[in-house]
Amino acid sequence: MLSRTDARAPGSKAPAYRLRLTDFDLTLPALGLLVLFFVVPVAILLARSVSEPVPGLGNYAELLGSSTYLRIFANTFIVSGLVTLVSLLIGFPVAWALAIMPSRLASVVFAILLLSMWTNLLARTYAWMVLLQRTGVINKMLIALGLIDKPLPLVNNLTGVTIGMTYIMLPFIILPLYGVIRKIDPAILQAAALCGANRWQALVRVLLPLAMPGMAAGALMVFVMSLGYFVTPALLGGTANMMLAELIAQFVQSLVNWGMGGAAALVLLVVTLALYAVQLRFFGTDRMGGR
Amino acid sequence: MSKPFLQIRGIRKEYGPVTAVHDVNLDVAQGEFLTFLGPSGSGKSTTLYILAGFEAPTRGDILLNGETLLSTPSHKRNIGMVFQRYTLFPHLTVGENIAFPLKVRRLPKAEIDAKVRDMLKLVRLEGFEDRKPAQMSGGQQQRVALARALAYDPPVLLMDEPLSALDKKLREEIQHEIRRIHQQTEVTILYVTHDQEEALRLSDRIAVFSKGVIDQIGTGPELYANPATRFVAEFIGDSDFLPCDLVTAANGKAEIALAGTTVIPNVPVHGKPVAGGKAALMLRPERLRLMRSAPGGATAVPVTISDITFLGNNIHVATETARGDALAVRLPFGHEAISSLSRGDSVWLGFDPASAHVFC
Repeated sequence: MLSRTDARAPGSKAPAYRLRLTDFDLTLPALGLLVLFFVVPVAILLARSVSEPVPGLGNYAELLGSSTYLRIFANTFIVSGLVTLVSLLIGFPVAWALAIMPSRLASVVFAILLLSMWTNLLARTYAWMVLLQRTGVINKMLIALGLIDKPLPLVNNLTGVTIGMTYIMLPFIILPLYGVIRKIDPAILQAAALCGANRWQALVRVLLPLAMPGMAAGALMVFVMSLGYFVTPALLGGTANMMLAELIAQFVQSLVNWGMGGAAALVLLVVTLALYAVQLRFFGTDRMGGR
Repeated sequence: MSKPFLQIRGIRKEYGPVTAVHDVNLDVAQGEFLTFLGPSGSGKSTTLYILAGFEAPTRGDILLNGETLLSTPSHKRNIGMVFQRYTLFPHLTVGENIAFPLKVRRLPKAEIDAKVRDMLKLVRLEGFEDRKPAQMSGGQQQRVALARALAYDPPVLLMDEPLSALDKKLREEIQHEIRRIHQQTEVTILYVTHDQEEALRLSDRIAVFSKGVIDQIGTGPELYANPATRFVAEFIGDSDFLPCDLVTAANGKAEIALAGTTVIPNVPVHGKPVAGGKAALMLRPERLRLMRSAPGGATAVPVTISDITFLGNNIHVATETARGDALAVRLPFGHEAISSLSRGDSVWLGFDPASAHVFC
């Protein structure tokens, strides 16, 4: 664990002390904090999920055996998957545009992106509620344009949740993707063009593979954040379309059932870790910021 | 030269108020190795980028086999290019990089495999096909880039300072490779560099670019022996310039007066000579003779030695005229004068007026 090296400079008696990146004794206080406030509570939750109200895997059996709960799992995964997909589809062109636009314009677009991130989440979610409701701007506009006859149900359902969450998650896709795309040398795309690749071939065979690490990092982050998101599904989804975070909140707050709440939380954690493992397997630690 | 293969016709490129290329005209023969030589910002790279289709000219035309190239987008021009920076696709192996242009052309797999093998053999990198570009040296990467650019048998290969990121020794090694590959494939090459030695070593002909125009086009020896402008004289080979007065000029020969000497007749003159005007006399260090005393009859300049440098196969003697103009002379190693000369000595530098040039 302590891999400090006492390299002696030639001709000198004093040991030279060198700090290496593998020395992590200085991080011990922070690691202690992490264990106390993150690992221990998760362990307690795990313990309660298999011990309340009676010892055993009863909570898990109930959670995974009931169609109501499975419906909630399905909602969670469908919405998270859709949010990730739509964020990628919108985020890639935006990140690409940011990478190639003049830096002055890019900083304006960045300011807009960051401002939206820094605006209060509740305020943004209520704003979507106003926009998406039956008499909201979007429905009124579509009717005025003659595209629809009666208002579309855009809120209090999973459509609303997907729209609201995509909006919130977009910066988390755009920022890592922008970083990756910025590093691609434009001359590589010129080389692809002279090699005979048209725009589509250059995109599919060169640009997308080179941007893949950024897409994977952003997609994983968005998917995992979406799985456990609470505020937006609670406000835009309505009571009939519950997601996992809302279910956990209900178990703990309304029903004071720590066993079921813990089991649901653990299922969420296991899924998240599994996805992270898949990501590591395909993209390696070096592209995730590790070494 | 037979019927022109590639014709550059009055190409002009303006960026707002700045004109990067001024009406460049150039004919390139099939199989020729032509180098654009010039300092950065002289328009040589811009001309190459117009050929590649990355830039559109403000006006002018480019004809390949008599047909305009300008209406064809880059990816359909079928032109090969090796870039200054490493542009191999980092996510593909060496073999996949070379196969890339063939895959986008949807050639059958057997044909692609055979071509990749041929190309690896051509650049002498057999056995490297499964490496990733990041696992190779800069020189190897540029050889793969060359193989990728030649894999689809382009009629023209563009090279934009492909060796500028490499160190001197490696550069010379790859220059030899490029020469060999040019002879082997007989592809027409347009090569951009700011390195005169590289241009002389590689090219059949050199086009010297200065401030967006081609000052002169010719073989290396032509440019060296007969520079059309002072810029070309400075850029190809070593040269020193002495201010002089033009007495008369006719039929490309001038009579000049140099400070401290008599009138010198029959010097080749370039530019727009005006009798009585100022001009510059160009002398090459290897064409000067060093003499201990004033020569009878021969043309010579009196100078004082300011420095003597031993450079291996020759000796570089820096001198100064009475007015303070620098004039260098290069002597072969073993020159009898060396052992007896020292700094501060007064000597004469003689030259043949026919080998000198006057620029107005």
